[in-house]
Order: sequence, then structure tokens, then C-alpha cells
Amino acid sequence: MNQEEPPPVLGSWSRLYWGIAVYLVLLIVLFDAFTRAFNR
Amino acid sequence: MRPLDWFAMAFALAGLVLYGLWRSRGSNTTSKYLLAGKTMPWYAMALSIMATQASAITFISTTGQAYVDGMRFVQFYFGLPLAMIIIAAVAVARFHHSGVYTAYEYLERRFDARTRALVSLVFLIARGISVGVALYAPSVVMTVILGWPDRWTTLLVGSVVVAYTVSGGIAAVTWTDVLQMCIMTFGLIAALLTAVWLMPADVSFRQAIDVAGAASRLNPLVWRLDFDDRYNIWSGLLGGMFLMLAYFGCDQSQVQRYLTGKSVAQSKLSLLFNAVAKIPMQFFILFIGAMVFSFYTFEKPPVLFKQDDMARLQQRADFAPVQRRFDEAWTARRDAARALPEQGAAFRRAQSDLDGARAEARHMAGGVNDTNYVFLSFVTRYMAPGLVGVLIAMIFGAAMSTISGEINSLATVTVIDHYKRFYRKNESDTHYLVASRWATAFWGLYAIITAQFGKSMGSLIEAVNQLGSLFYGGLLGVFTLAFFFPSATGAGAFWGVLIGEGVVFAVRYYTDIAFLWSPLIGGATVVASGMAISAMTRKPAPGAPRA
Repeated sequence: MNQEEPPPVLGSWSRLYWGIAVYLVLLIVLFDAFTRAFNR
Repeated sequence: MRPLDWFAMAFALAGLVLYGLWRSRGSNTTSKYLLAGKTMPWYAMALSIMATQASAITFISTTGQAYVDGMRFVQFYFGLPLAMIIIAAVAVARFHHSGVYTAYEYLERRFDARTRALVSLVFLIARGISVGVALYAPSVVMTVILGWPDRWTTLLVGSVVVAYTVSGGIAAVTWTDVLQMCIMTFGLIAALLTAVWLMPADVSFRQAIDVAGAASRLNPLVWRLDFDDRYNIWSGLLGGMFLMLAYFGCDQSQVQRYLTGKSVAQSKLSLLFNAVAKIPMQFFILFIGAMVFSFYTFEKPPVLFKQDDMARLQQRADFAPVQRRFDEAWTARRDAARALPEQGAAFRRAQSDLDGARAEARHMAGGVNDTNYVFLSFVTRYMAPGLVGVLIAMIFGAAMSTISGEINSLATVTVIDHYKRFYRKNESDTHYLVASRWATAFWGLYAIITAQFGKSMGSLIEAVNQLGSLFYGGLLGVFTLAFFFPSATGAGAFWGVLIGEGVVFAVRYYTDIAFLWSPLIGGATVVASGMAISAMTRKPAPGAPRA
């Protein structure tokens, strides 16, 4: 592999970075929902 | 522990070491010994990075933390994905293309030799302080569980780690870590299933969750901003990001992992795998702690989980009323738990009484903190024969992966950044290979010897751990200057690190700001002072007009 080789998912490194950022936001939303649903 | 547990533990630990040695055979050049010949696939690096970060004490205390304080500790890792993205986008390719063995070697190419020497020395001090504690701290817990003298435990774990790290170098460390992560995952799943399986037949999984929630143990997200509180979303995202940037981007024990990659892409993938997997893994570990809490709602726990303290308390006449209060509170909590949510107020009242009885018992026992013993107590009392051995091997394995990573990186920095750079510049590759093995043995021996003094450190252990993190501000700041500020000079970087570290130590000792913010404060100070000094010391370009 060389530096320009794309990642195995999402086609480009910048898209993969954005994908992980969106994933983090989703995790936070899920944790917020989890806390609201179960923590009393 | 039963015979089957001893067998499972010995089998797992021997398997770990033999597998690492087998995968690392042929490490007969400096490049193969220190960088695995740059042949590592992304998944091996990814699991090794994860295993090195998951030390035994973190592992044991994380579940205990969920038991006593809930799941909010997971927010500590919210900054990790962002840090991994930044490191993958900015640092990995630079480190790879410059062909360096250590992150600090890169600083000489960017700045000068004295900045490299200073920063690598900062690393040696920071890691040197923590490596003995990393070996001693889990041994204390294991000593209580296994009944071995702590000196023998540290000697056993230390010797095993030194044997495979000296022999196989980074390849042995990495492949051993891979297997350790597999054992850890298996052990964690087994622990969760045991906690859920052993609940009373009339308690459903949903009820177990409701019980943990009613006691505020299911709180992975806290929005409230509080600078004195380590665990909320803001400290996790911002403070955690800078801490993770420093740890994964500037600490040789981590940088060395992804320098072993076959390519830039493989190294980036190893970091991004951690960005995706780390938070769910921590959530899972904390959830186990929450389920252990639910389990102990229906199965009576000891007042204190540290057996020797509990045995001493039971000898005292004045402990009987505390035990009685605890028993009554536990019974009231169990009865209220069966009638949730209607009995929510009664449940919380009983929980408060129970916490009060435990606090009094801890006070009577001399102010002990038994959080680290909650999970181990559960494992040794309730898990199936054989699984206890696997879980104990898992905790030994977590300690070994952290220590092997640390002594390997300490040896690499000692040989590459100091011995080869300043003392013996032009020796053969075989000479540096032998020097690297001796340096690894030296740091391993150093860890074992300093761990022998662990008992006299006592409560200093936590302070020593936090002291190590105070050096991250300087490391983060100087690499920020190197990567993002082309006009920064060697003088700016050198003096910036010293000023930044001075500010971090002053903030630590004169304010109550949580240590999670230290890398951000230190890093910002290094950049600001480094750029100011760079502006003052920069030589004018030839032919430029003079003021």
C-alpha cells in the first residue's frame, strides 16, 4: 500500500474522518437517550 | 482458586508468552527488533494499541467505578476519536516518511538536537516514574486475591514480561497484545453473562437495568460543565481530546506501535479502528460494573470488598451495629428493587443508608477505598471453575501488555535518542541490536526493583500516576509547534517546553483544576511561549531591511 491508497471503506480518507466524527455524534446521541431512558 | 482455575491461568499465560515469542522469531536486526521490520498489519497494531492502553488497574477499577459511581467515566474517552482523526491526518505520514525510530528523532529534523534530547528526556522521566507503579499496582490487588506476597507477584509478572520483551522486541510485544485482547474480550463477555445469569429467576434483564438506573448507575452522559469534575461531556471531548492527542501522538509507547505498520494506510487504519472501538468497549466494561451492582442488589455483598480489611473489622465489637445497619438497608433495598418503579423513593432511601454504612465501615478500616476489589471479589466468588483462572490471566495479561509496551519504548528512546545519538554514533547494526536488548533488560529490571518499593509508596501511587500525565502538556505543545507552525524555531520549541511544563506544575499544585485539563493548558502555553520566543530569536533573512 502507498500513502494515496484509499481506505477499505467510504472511498477516501477525508470521508472516513468525517464518517468517524458523525459516528461520535451518534454515540453521544445514543448515550443521551440511554441516560434519559434508564437513569432515574 | 480451584485446580482448574490454576490450570486455565497457567495455560493462558504460557500460551501468551509462547505465541509472542513464536511470532517474533527472526528479530535479528535493529529495525526488526524495534519496528518489526515495518511489516505489521493494521489489526495487530490496532489491538496492541488498545491492549497497551488498558492496564490491569484501569481494567479492575473501571468496573468498580461503575459499581460505586455509575457509567459516566465513559465520557473520558469522547475525545479519543477526534484525537485519532487528527493524528491519522497529520502525524502518521510525517513519522512514516521521515523514517524515524522514535517520535523524538523527528524533532531533531524539524528543530534541533537539544530539543530532541530535552523532549526524549521528558518522556524517559514520565514513563520511568510510571513503569514501576504499572507493575506494582495490579500486584497489590492480585496479592489479596491469590494470597501471594506482593514481592513475588511483581517478580513473577516482571520476569515473564522481561523475558519475552528482551527476546522478541516489538513484534513479541505486539503479537502478545493481540492474544491478550482476545482473552480480555472473552473474559469480559463471560463476566457479563455470569452477572446476568446469576440474577434470581424472577428478575428479568430489563428489571436488572431498571435497578441500576434507579441507583443512577446508568449515566453515560452528563451535560453539566464543571471544571473540578473529571467526567462530563465537555471535559471528555476537550480535555480528553488533548490528553489522547498527547498520549497517542507524542508518547513513544504508542507511536512505536503504528511506526511498525506495513504502510501509512495500515498505520492510519490501526488508529481509526481504536477511534471506532474504544468507546463501545469502555461502555461495555462499565455496563458489566452496573450489572454487578444489580446482581448485588439481590445477592448480599460484603460491607467492604477488600477481604483482609473486612476480616479485621469483623473482629471489632463496634463493627456489629454497622453490619446490622448495612444488613437492614440491603434488605430494604432488595425489597424496594422488586417493586420498581413504584418503590423508587424507598429504593433510593435504602441505597443512601447502605452507602452511609459502607462509608462508616471504610472510615473504621482507616479510610480504605475498596473500589478496585469489587470486580475481583465478584469474579472469585461467583464465576464458574476455569473462568476464574481465565479472568485472573486476563488481568495479569493487561498488566503485562502495558509494562512490555513501556519498557520496550523506554529502551528504544534510550538507545536511539541518547546512546546512538550522543555516545556511539557509528557502530554496526548488531551493536545497536545488542544495546537495545540490554536497554530493555535494564528498564525491565528497573521496573521490578522500583515495584519492590511500592508498598512504601502507599497512597502516593495515584499521585505518581497523575504526575506522569503532567508531562503530556510539554510533549503535545512541542509536536503542535512542529506540525502546525512552520515559523517556530528550535529555541522557541526548547524554551517553550520548559515554560509549558513550569506552568503545568504550577497549575497542578496551586489550583484545583482537574488533571485532565493539564495537556491543554501545557500545550497552549508551549505554543504561545514557543512562538513568542521564535519571533524574538528568528534570524532575519539575508538582505532583509534592518529596523
